[in-house]
Amino acid sequence: MEIKYSHGYSPKPKINFSPPTPLGVVSLAEYADVLLDGGVEENEFKKMVNLKLKPQIQITEAKKIIIKADNLMNDIAISLYCFKLCASSSGENLLKEFYMDIDEKLRVKSDFSRSIFDLKIKQDKEISEIILLKLFGYAKIFKEENNEFFKFNNFYKFLENWLKKYKINIKGVEKEELFAVRGNALKTPIEVILVKQ
Amino acid sequence: MNKIKKLDFDLFEELLKDIQKPGRYINNEVGARSKSMEPVSNFCNLVSMALVFPDIYEVGMSNLGLQILYDIVNKHRDFTLERVFSPWIDFEKRLRERNVKIFSLENRIFLDCFDLIGFTVQHELLYTNILNILDLGGININSRRRRDKFPLVCAGGPAVVNPQPLSRFMDFFVVGDGEEVTMSILERVKIYKDNNKDKEWFLKEISKLSGIYIPGFYKFHYFPDGSIKNIKPDRKVRKAIVKDLNKFGVVKDPVIPNIKTVHDRFIVEIMRGCGRGCRFCQAGIIYRPVRTREVESLIRQSAAGIKNTGYHEISFLSLSSSDYSKIERLLEGINSSFKPGRLSISLPSMRLDSFNLNLIDLIGGGRKTGLTFAPEAGSQRMRDIINKNIKENEMLDCIKMAFSKGWERIKLYFMIGLPFEKNEDIRQIVELIEKVIMAAKGEISKKKLSRLKINISINAFCPKPFTPFQWTSQDNAASLDSKFNYILKNVPRRYVNISWGDSRRSIIEGALARGNELVGEVIEGAWKSGARFDNWTDFFNFHIWEKEFKKAGLDINFFTTRSFADDEILPWDVIDIGVSKKFLLKEYDKSRKYIRDQDKI
Repeated sequence: MEIKYSHGYSPKPKINFSPPTPLGVVSLAEYADVLLDGGVEENEFKKMVNLKLKPQIQITEAKKIIIKADNLMNDIAISLYCFKLCASSSGENLLKEFYMDIDEKLRVKSDFSRSIFDLKIKQDKEISEIILLKLFGYAKIFKEENNEFFKFNNFYKFLENWLKKYKINIKGVEKEELFAVRGNALKTPIEVILVKQ
Repeated sequence: MNKIKKLDFDLFEELLKDIQKPGRYINNEVGARSKSMEPVSNFCNLVSMALVFPDIYEVGMSNLGLQILYDIVNKHRDFTLERVFSPWIDFEKRLRERNVKIFSLENRIFLDCFDLIGFTVQHELLYTNILNILDLGGININSRRRRDKFPLVCAGGPAVVNPQPLSRFMDFFVVGDGEEVTMSILERVKIYKDNNKDKEWFLKEISKLSGIYIPGFYKFHYFPDGSIKNIKPDRKVRKAIVKDLNKFGVVKDPVIPNIKTVHDRFIVEIMRGCGRGCRFCQAGIIYRPVRTREVESLIRQSAAGIKNTGYHEISFLSLSSSDYSKIERLLEGINSSFKPGRLSISLPSMRLDSFNLNLIDLIGGGRKTGLTFAPEAGSQRMRDIINKNIKENEMLDCIKMAFSKGWERIKLYFMIGLPFEKNEDIRQIVELIEKVIMAAKGEISKKKLSRLKINISINAFCPKPFTPFQWTSQDNAASLDSKFNYILKNVPRRYVNISWGDSRRSIIEGALARGNELVGEVIEGAWKSGARFDNWTDFFNFHIWEKEFKKAGLDINFFTTRSFADDEILPWDVIDIGVSKKFLLKEYDKSRKYIRDQDKI
């Protein structure tokens, strides 16, 4: 298996990675597109690369892009983070307040409102004390829309602090998915490819 | 090792929060291999060694010696080797605050749980880092106070060819090539461990190997002036030598760092030792004799290594690459194994002349990075004294040729404070730089002139053990500074960048390099006063060292600016480096008469 290289002064392999994951965050959504020199079956590709990769990082899915997509990785606009919040020590009233404030105070009025695309909240299915805060942050700057790049570390510190008054702790955070905007909808990179083909 | 304790993963994650470059501590690089700790009982039966590189990860991971030992030891069924580096200041602070001992990268085993701890010491200014790591591991720095059977603590590498300054901290030293002797040591650690022998037995047993110096077995007696009267017993330790480099394969699956390191490329040693005989150069003596790798297998293994690691750059390492007789075949062979333009090759320590320039042009594939020359001195008289075989006209011809072919950057290395140096020699450094500028300007078009860059690196000479200059006096800081200032004032600045190492730092480097066992007290004191990372400009503090020398009742000048007598017993006379004192003295005599040796190659 050979990768295609760029031409010119210092040739580089033609491979693009999705936007980097913040330090200390578990990621379930890492993408890359790579231009190969010669064909290889999707499963064969996956098998060969996984043999070389560490068990901690494995390719879960590989799809062939037949119609040329212009740099899909550059198109990634939204990252979805899932914050696991632990509310064991907060009383019922505090919790109610939290649910009320989350939209108004966090999403609309906080310093981060412009960098948050969407926010959803739900109960964890297994542990009742855990609240899942699904946060869709802008992964890129869109100049025309005047949106800001979602700065994860700043947000994390802010959120940690903000949650204190509801006696809620952040138990963990995972990067769950990446999206590109297609029409009016969010599509995962794999969905984008499937639509194209 | 009775009980292995390791750092809990959750605590590890917590410790790394807000720490700079956590990639330094997290292991799991491609090529990292360690024996599994499941089940622990099996792991406990292994002989475990911590290989400690007392500098940060980025520097340590660029060291080929570390990769070689990692490869050889971990291939062995009964042994396991894990890496430890100096934690950066922020992580050290975190470990001390949280009262957590330093641990290995692979299985996060606490340092004091290893059977053997081996430090690989590249230069003298890392000595304080060694003490710091032992202390962070909860290990008494003083070998006499370590009564337990484990861990055993040893040191090897070029900065312990004079073991005396560190002798009070180490159970033993390894002098010479590490490949074979490390395995012999580990075999004996296994017997020591399995059969519950005592430490005295172990030390006696390894003292039979070549390259092992055990400070506890020697006694130094001094004259009132501080020089050595005699050493008992009068028995030298012969350095360990790997006779045939080909016996050990190239490391084809090195650990590939996840973060950017100093040298991030595939490294292959093509030759060990150097026959050039520059009189200031310690590496040129201590790595003798010259041994080479067989070229065809080198090509095969290098190509396999490149394919294996995915690197795009290979560095053929040696002390003088152009002296490798099959260099052309090597370059041609490796080049033809890859698609054009895919692989870049670097040849450090290349002697530049018009022939080699063509060679570089060839491998560069048209890429014109900088050229490096190391004339070391400005005058031919001084180059004769130091036995550096570079002639001015040859160098200028080569520079002209390079610039006519499109090179735009050159780097020049000089030393000041060399033995028998006169003001005239310093003046001629300036003159030579001017000539280089003229030569370059003559060949470069006016349009490109603004891109011309000449980088000058000036270092203070520091006499090192086992060189013909080991007896010579080191220039003092004030004189070095004034020489440097003269150069700075007189060199045309337009195309030139000048860098200068701190003269006081090289004074301390000199004092440690030629130090005796009493200097150990100074190192300990300096470390306790906060000295570490002494090779970093930001951290080096001369006053700490000055104070500690005084406190120990020692005069820095005794080790630096003093000329050692020809017949004086030297602290490193316990080591037989393979080159006789008589030969070194003969060379020193020649330098006094400005006689350059003919090259031996």
